[in-house]
Amino acid sequence: MRTIRIEHVSKAYNGDRILDDLNLTIPSGQFFALLGPSGSGKTTLLRLIAGFETPDSGRIFIGDKDITQVPINERKVNTVFQQYALFPHMNVFDNVAYGLRVKGLPEKEIEQKVRKILSVVHLEKQMYKSIDQLSGGQKQRVALARAVVNEPDVLLLDEPLAALDLKLRERMLVELVALQDQLKTTFVYVTHDQTEALTVADTMAIMNSDGEIEQVGTPKEIYEFPKSTFVANFVGTTNLFKGTLIIEDEKTLIDVPHVGRFSVTCPTNQPWACNGCKVVLSVRPEKINISKEPLEGFANKLQGIVESIIYYGRSTQYNVRVANDTIVQVFEQNVEHVRTQVIDYEDSVYLYWQTASGVVLNK
Amino acid sequence: MKQSLRASLKSEIPFFMVVPALVWQVLFFYLPLFFVIYISFTQQENNLFSAHTWENYATFFAWPFARVLLRSFSLAVGTSIICLLAGYPIAYYLARRAERWKNVLLFLLVLPFWTNMLVQVYAWFALLERVGFVNRMLSYVGWISTPLTLLNNSFAIYVVMVYYYLPFMVIPIYAVLEKLQDEYLQASRDLGATPIQTFWRVTLPLSMSGITTGFFLVFIPAFGEFVIPGFMGGHKYMYVGSLISYYYLVARNESMGAAFTVVSGVLLLVGAYMLYRLFVHFTPAERAS
Repeated sequence: MRTIRIEHVSKAYNGDRILDDLNLTIPSGQFFALLGPSGSGKTTLLRLIAGFETPDSGRIFIGDKDITQVPINERKVNTVFQQYALFPHMNVFDNVAYGLRVKGLPEKEIEQKVRKILSVVHLEKQMYKSIDQLSGGQKQRVALARAVVNEPDVLLLDEPLAALDLKLRERMLVELVALQDQLKTTFVYVTHDQTEALTVADTMAIMNSDGEIEQVGTPKEIYEFPKSTFVANFVGTTNLFKGTLIIEDEKTLIDVPHVGRFSVTCPTNQPWACNGCKVVLSVRPEKINISKEPLEGFANKLQGIVESIIYYGRSTQYNVRVANDTIVQVFEQNVEHVRTQVIDYEDSVYLYWQTASGVVLNK
Repeated sequence: MKQSLRASLKSEIPFFMVVPALVWQVLFFYLPLFFVIYISFTQQENNLFSAHTWENYATFFAWPFARVLLRSFSLAVGTSIICLLAGYPIAYYLARRAERWKNVLLFLLVLPFWTNMLVQVYAWFALLERVGFVNRMLSYVGWISTPLTLLNNSFAIYVVMVYYYLPFMVIPIYAVLEKLQDEYLQASRDLGATPIQTFWRVTLPLSMSGITTGFFLVFIPAFGEFVIPGFMGGHKYMYVGSLISYYYLVARNESMGAAFTVVSGVLLLVGAYMLYRLFVHFTPAERAS
């Protein structure tokens, strides 16, 4: 197995601590996304795995092998750079063949391998074109082919789609996932774009601005069951209510000053989830129902005035003021095919959600 | 129509602003060049130029003149090659390793230009003469018992030629290496290349434009150089530059001087062009299908 283990790794630049005692395990053969805001140290972590940097302390393993001190060129790790870094003095073929040539493979074998990988990324026709004759998406594919032709244990991708437009990015994401399925190589994908990460990842890790790992899990776990307000806020959008936990015999409530009391599911075995503890309730906007008429069958209810409406096409966002300093965001799918909005500005509306839709977080 | 005219005036430099430069160029470059070529086809008697003869040129189809041309050519090629071999590591160090000291070192590199060339050449006498600095240091350390002959030979010529022309090689190479993106080198290492493979396959090919510029910045003036080889070589041999100045200033035969100027100028152009083709051949170009 080629599991990557990062143990107690610290790294500082000019006295600035980027990573501090970081531990992370990246499972073998998975599409692993590393998601965090810019400046969170995710690129630094990638560069440590590639070998462009050495950690100040701690060790990095691939499988059972300690690679902390192994030179860049002896690691079975290849990188797809953000700006591609394709060699401008070589054509597509020579770029892809580079890794095989420096290893001294026979030219015949090189040609076979390069042709094969270029057909995988749909670039047979561009084989002898020079780099500046290629479009952004084609350059991206060359960079990908140049890396995977070496059959690495781990492929590192540093925001590889950042330079592409939206449509192309979506198509490349699908191709990347298909390629990973085919190769079964461990992909480590660094991005600050939560949609990309949620789309491609088998497992993802969320890093905060201090270079700490906040949570590791499947995209669904991360989105539906965030473990901190940072994760809840950074991945997707959410409504956060600060309040006090009230644990009674048969039910648990959260008391949010000036807004109301809501029924919640109490997290078990958490020292911070006690009767009278200060906690935060997170409710995703799409899990809230909005209605002008009172509805039955919901555990939690709020009343407010529609302050603004943002129409997205497939959904509409309502910003509803429920208290002086509290605005709740609600997403509603535009299921009905109508010309005018049923709910308008200044309308008085009811908001409803079920107990299970909220997540209680440590403040 | 009016608008496009105004736009073109705004975007391009108006013609009248080019006129002074053009006049200067014609008066002080093309006209003198024309006179030199014209005079080279004349013969001189009592300070008068009689017209139209090939005779001056016929003189140069003789071995002694060819030897002078070859001597200058080999001095120029030799100086350029030594400057390249010595200058590339210096440029590499300045551009990619020096960091904090970069500006100080660059300043030191161009500092000699602030002094007159003759002063610099005389300073080398003090260093290289029999009781000069170098001989004294060597005998002080005990490496030699009798002073070495370091002056009036090709060693002295090459030392001072390389000393003087080195910055012309270093600066263009430095400029290219300075702009070379780290990502290319990282990508190369990442793909399994050792630092040495990375140098030969990425760094060197991507700095060929700087090498070509530097080579010709050294080669062309070195071909006409006669002060340094004259002084350091003890005036034993004629070079292209010294032969021309001999015709003009000593023999006072301007027709011969002009003719030899034209011959050496044409040979320099041909030689430089052939060397340039050689460089282009070794510069990796994008291979289109």
